[in-house]
Amino acid sequence: MTTTNVTSEVIGSVWKVEMNVGDTVQTGDVIMILESMKMEIPVEAPTDGKIADILVKPEESVDEDQILCTIES
Amino acid sequence: MHDRELKTEKPDSDGGAEAPLHEELRIRRLAALEMGGKEAVDRQHSASRLTVRERLSKLIDVKSFREIGTLAGSGEYDENNKLVKVTSAPYVAGLARINGRPVAIGGEDFTVRGGTTFGSARRKGGQGGFIEDLAHYYKIPLVNLIDGAGGTVTSAKRRGYVAFPGVHGFERSVQLLGEVPVVSAVLGTAAGGPAGRAILSHFSVMVRGTSQIFAAGPPVVKRSLGRDIEKEDLGGAAIAVDKAGTIHNAAANEEDAFAQMAHFLSYLPQNVWELPPVTECDDPVDRCENELRTIVPERRTQPYSMHRLIELVVDKGSIFEIQPTHGKSVITSLARLNGRVVGIVANNPKFYSGAMDANSARKQIHFMELCDTFHIPLVFLVDVPGFMVGLKAEQEATLREGMRAVYVAGQLSVPTLTLVIRKCYGMAGMATCNKNDIDLKLSWPTGEWGSLPVEGGVAAAFRREIANAPDPKAREKELEEELNAYSSPFRTAEAFAVEEIIDPSETRPILCEFVELAEGRLRINLGPKGKAGVSP
Repeated sequence: MTTTNVTSEVIGSVWKVEMNVGDTVQTGDVIMILESMKMEIPVEAPTDGKIADILVKPEESVDEDQILCTIES
Repeated sequence: MHDRELKTEKPDSDGGAEAPLHEELRIRRLAALEMGGKEAVDRQHSASRLTVRERLSKLIDVKSFREIGTLAGSGEYDENNKLVKVTSAPYVAGLARINGRPVAIGGEDFTVRGGTTFGSARRKGGQGGFIEDLAHYYKIPLVNLIDGAGGTVTSAKRRGYVAFPGVHGFERSVQLLGEVPVVSAVLGTAAGGPAGRAILSHFSVMVRGTSQIFAAGPPVVKRSLGRDIEKEDLGGAAIAVDKAGTIHNAAANEEDAFAQMAHFLSYLPQNVWELPPVTECDDPVDRCENELRTIVPERRTQPYSMHRLIELVVDKGSIFEIQPTHGKSVITSLARLNGRVVGIVANNPKFYSGAMDANSARKQIHFMELCDTFHIPLVFLVDVPGFMVGLKAEQEATLREGMRAVYVAGQLSVPTLTLVIRKCYGMAGMATCNKNDIDLKLSWPTGEWGSLPVEGGVAAAFRREIANAPDPKAREKELEEELNAYSSPFRTAEAFAVEEIIDPSETRPILCEFVELAEGRLRINLGPKGKAGVSP
């Protein structure tokens, strides 16, 4: 079992979280949508697996490289 | 080494009718081919690295290597002055061909004293080396295969004094950047002079996992700052390519690095006195892609794939992206349109909404200078909301780096076409035009521009009016709607302030015509380009 950290590539805030802890994801699935520079930035699963933890909630500010959620695979 | 032309055959046992190879030449050539000896070669292989001679044979055309300085090294002689042993110079150099075109090529031999410099009458490689003279005098590209850490303190012992920095300086390396393509691969741990030469290149690549580059390695960091750090964490591709942009591209292995160098060179002329090579193209010029009509989402806050957009427009399979993992809010790619080379600068709405930050500004500057120097016309595919904002952006001097991009764009002399896909705002928008050229600005119907976007701008410009209104929120919205009506691209086209609004599906034919027209101008502007003024 490996844990993959999903990080934010941009500074901004969380707009919508599209998945829940325990959901199965495939590479490329949209886990949440951030808002940055007035643009909706989808956060896609970098690997197949199961969402182990979601560390942010809507309207929360996020920094570049901040861990948003973890995937177990 | 199946593809080398260096003859080392033994004389026929019966003496033979054929004249045999000169015996001392044969012995000395064999010594050169042995490099640092079996043990050192095995060590190089077990570090997942090739020897410099293997690298050469994988990169260049078969049987194209004409080695120069094969016999350079240090000889050991007995009391009768008879040769006992030769240790080769730690650098292999010569002339070769890549895809049929001549290049000067050389690299450190790490198996001989770790590829350090060696005392000789004339330098083979490194800064001020003979290899750079070959590129300069024959006006051919220079290919550096870098695997060394440069000078060593032991040279002072040999010399009896310490050399002043720059005795063998970077003058020639600097000169070459305005004359011929220079490409470098970092294939081991590079510091010092070899690291410097990797930077003084038009294109540099390093291997993810087996190569590192830094101003100074872990022992120096430990001594100077008392910090322990592994060399991969200090100067591996994750730092040097992705984060810092010190090196342009990362490669999966050495073969991939060679393929990238050869690919890069295929877009460039042999020198600045020639036009970039034109290739056959079987992708129809009049290929109109309907997908382009819908690629930009109606909702302005939704991003789309600029990579896909570029793919749909240029010749199929012709894209070579430079710095794909760094400064990602702008995409810089060499590509072809009807076989002619073009430089694409495209903002990436998926990253910072396409806003220009310090990294993407530096990346765009390098690419614009590259294209301008080698007479490659530029196409800007514009979707830029402005400079990146926020504390981090200010700390990174985004405004200064961004204005440097505007400054460099203001000095371009290569033909340029600006095509607005969606947003074109502010000073970052100015870095997408070339006022020295005809300044042809086209737009898709989805284009929008101005000094700043209406939302946000209204709140600042009409602050008092909004505050004094009976319903401030409603007044703000009203003002926004009023101003939004003016921001239709068709109103600007009506005023002929943007030259044409095109159907997105026609993009490819229009751009192909542009590069064909550009060629006439490029032809009469060949040669080196002067630099003037003080860069901000």
